[in-house]
Amino acid sequence: MVSSSTDTQEVLMEIRNVDKAFGGVKAVDNVSMDLRAGIITTLVGPNGAGKTTLFNLITGELTKDSGTIKWLGQPINRIKPFKAARAGILRTFQDLRLFNEMSVEENVLTSVEANSVPAPMTKSQRTARSEKVEYALNRAGLFSKRNIRAKDLAYAERKFLSMARVMATDARLWLLDEPASGLDPNSYEKFLEILREEVKQGVTVCIIEHNLDIVIGISDRIAFLDRGKLLADDEPQTVLNDPELRAIYFGERT
Amino acid sequence: MLALQLMITGLQTGALYALTAVGFSLIFGSTRIFHFAHGATFIIAAYLFYFVNVSGFGVTLGVIAATAGAIVFGLLLNRFVYVPIQRDEGSFFTVFVASFGIGIVIQNVVGMIFGRGYVTVQTPLSFSVELMDGLYVSPLAWISMLCAAIFFGILWCFLKYSNLGLSLRALADNPDLVRVFGLNPRFISSCAFTIGSILVVPAAIISGATTGLNPAMGHHVMLISLAATIVGGIGSVAGTLLAGLALGLAESLALLYVDSQWTEAVTFAILFLFIIVRPSGLLGRSAAH
Amino acid sequence: MEAYLLNLVILISIYSTLAVTLNFIMGYAGIYSLAHAVFFGVGAYAGTFMAMHFNASIFITIPVAMLAGAVLSLILALPALRVRGEYFVAASLGLQVLAVTIFSEWKAVTGGIGGLIGIPPLDILGLEVFKPSQFIFVTVGVLVIVLIIINRLVHSSFGRSLRAIRDSESAAAAFGKNVPLIKTISVVISSALTAVAGVLYASYLSFINVESFMLDTSVLIMAMVIIGGTGTQAGPIVGAALLLILPSIISYLDFLPQTEIGSIQQIIYGLGMALLMIYRPGGIVGRKKQSEAGKE
Repeated sequence: MVSSSTDTQEVLMEIRNVDKAFGGVKAVDNVSMDLRAGIITTLVGPNGAGKTTLFNLITGELTKDSGTIKWLGQPINRIKPFKAARAGILRTFQDLRLFNEMSVEENVLTSVEANSVPAPMTKSQRTARSEKVEYALNRAGLFSKRNIRAKDLAYAERKFLSMARVMATDARLWLLDEPASGLDPNSYEKFLEILREEVKQGVTVCIIEHNLDIVIGISDRIAFLDRGKLLADDEPQTVLNDPELRAIYFGERT
Repeated sequence: MLALQLMITGLQTGALYALTAVGFSLIFGSTRIFHFAHGATFIIAAYLFYFVNVSGFGVTLGVIAATAGAIVFGLLLNRFVYVPIQRDEGSFFTVFVASFGIGIVIQNVVGMIFGRGYVTVQTPLSFSVELMDGLYVSPLAWISMLCAAIFFGILWCFLKYSNLGLSLRALADNPDLVRVFGLNPRFISSCAFTIGSILVVPAAIISGATTGLNPAMGHHVMLISLAATIVGGIGSVAGTLLAGLALGLAESLALLYVDSQWTEAVTFAILFLFIIVRPSGLLGRSAAH
Repeated sequence: MEAYLLNLVILISIYSTLAVTLNFIMGYAGIYSLAHAVFFGVGAYAGTFMAMHFNASIFITIPVAMLAGAVLSLILALPALRVRGEYFVAASLGLQVLAVTIFSEWKAVTGGIGGLIGIPPLDILGLEVFKPSQFIFVTVGVLVIVLIIINRLVHSSFGRSLRAIRDSESAAAAFGKNVPLIKTISVVISSALTAVAGVLYASYLSFINVESFMLDTSVLIMAMVIIGGTGTQAGPIVGAALLLILPSIISYLDFLPQTEIGSIQQIIYGLGMALLMIYRPGGIVGRKKQSEAGKE
């Protein structure tokens, strides 16, 4: 692969030869790639390409058939989802999975409190916690709705709440599963702005996205998956200008 | 000789357990409905047979009534309880509670009509025949095993060769397939309930003639069905069959060592052991979320 | 009449405690137990055993009962909560059936089917409480304490985790919650508090046998929670009061067969459970059904 400008970034996550099959179908087929610090890597590819499955394998929601994943140099092959979260890897879900019966604020609070059993907190910890929650709610534009139940929010607000849950934490890597799908142009402008801002502050993002405008607008690097195979992992222009990949990508739409 | 005797009784019980449990497992596997009122289906079929029989209409009519009753109950429950609930929310909890509530109603209505004590259906087949010295087997034992063999044979052909059967199996494997294949989920679930309810009938009728009936039996039926489904592996019909048979055998053979009031404890012990050691069951895949 | 009312209120407060503790795991953690009466029974037998053989002080009977309930529930919950929710339903049903056999067979502790008679009154700092007019303060007091404990738990970060798990288990795990651990802890807390109700119940009646701790009781408690309103604070108490008053109401209605009061009561609450799930899953106290929002 040709060397490119993002190749020099520190590697946070190293994915090597990862396989996962369901029944006879290979959902993820011998995928190797790196997630590099401080950039946005976009996973693109047709439906069923294995993008979400790859997320599930990283966070331990599913178990790999083979291959290794290293996080900050340490193997995390049999990690459980809650431990992945505590190690600084957070994800969102395509279907959001908000805590529907809880208030907007409680949704964010819950994501900040990574412990299972409550530990006593000092006053400064308490303040730090509420600051984080307030910060995330403000960024997501949900501060005025903080006491509303999550299930009573409008569609776009629900998507932003899903982001707020991640923003409030100290996680280093965000795995975002189609966070902008179905947003109106205004909302996704706002979403892109939030994302750029957060990356500037040092967060690393891997995002699954279909909308080409968004892909072009945010990607520092694009990884292209099709039927479980990683076909490309390179600079956006290189991937987007590849005629073969373009054929697969646009072929899906017709 | 005692061991052989218990083995045959165990196979008889196990065959009936397997039929009942596969009924539940098929419904649960293909529709994800936690059909706790499966025990109530058993009660309805059993008491209908008993009623028709003591009223003097004979065995054939009894069997027809029991089968019809089981199917109608299963379909009505699906149509008027599960479908409305699932249309809106359909969480595990709401379906389970509604099903449970219906089970309580059936148990008590039957109890008020027929009494809460045990009743038995007297048939000439109930009497045991001495096969060998000290080995008594009632013809019902052979009938149970034959019934199970026939029903499972038909079920196997159905699941393997018919389109409908294939869809049911596919659903048990992956519930999301409904949408992918564009199947009509209403129709599929009606089929699952029909078949699942029919599978209860032989056990309901034969139990009436052997161990006797009691309106509270539904809970025992559910414990067996749940245990066999889990021990066999959720979504695996073959696993449930094996597990049902094994549970019946284990309960019976346990009598070599413990008194009869501990037989349900044996079921619990096996279930609990599987939950600890092999939660995915005999033939199931991963039991994780 | 006064004695009747006193007795009713005492029973309502004891059953309310049971319903409130079941609601804690059902309504806030989404764990469905069919073995709640087992922990009620274990508390009753353990407390009685201590009171009859060692010391009737509540500072001995209650902690021992709580410990017994906690340990038993831990044995059940540890394996059963690692896997899907259906497993806990099955395992708890199995435990309930097994427990009835043990309660009827372990004569040294439970007195067998005949049960135990002559259970000593509660000894609170040397004061013997057995008159209903005094006992009522104890049972209502315990209910209030249990309510306060559970209320505080639910609104702590632990309670948030519980509710998060109920709403979406996978999302809770994705945000760092150790789901099996949290569920197990909640079951242990619930069972320990349930056992306290057992001690009070045994001492109040001064007689217990297995019939109070059978599957029917587990079902009754579950019905109280569901009919009152799962996941609400007042719901379980409303449910307990309603279902305990129900038999008296039935007995006023002359057209119903009076020998079948028990069955009629069960039919009413069975039907109530099914109808509520179709039309109002939140129960009497809970919110009305919202068919639009919250679908994912």
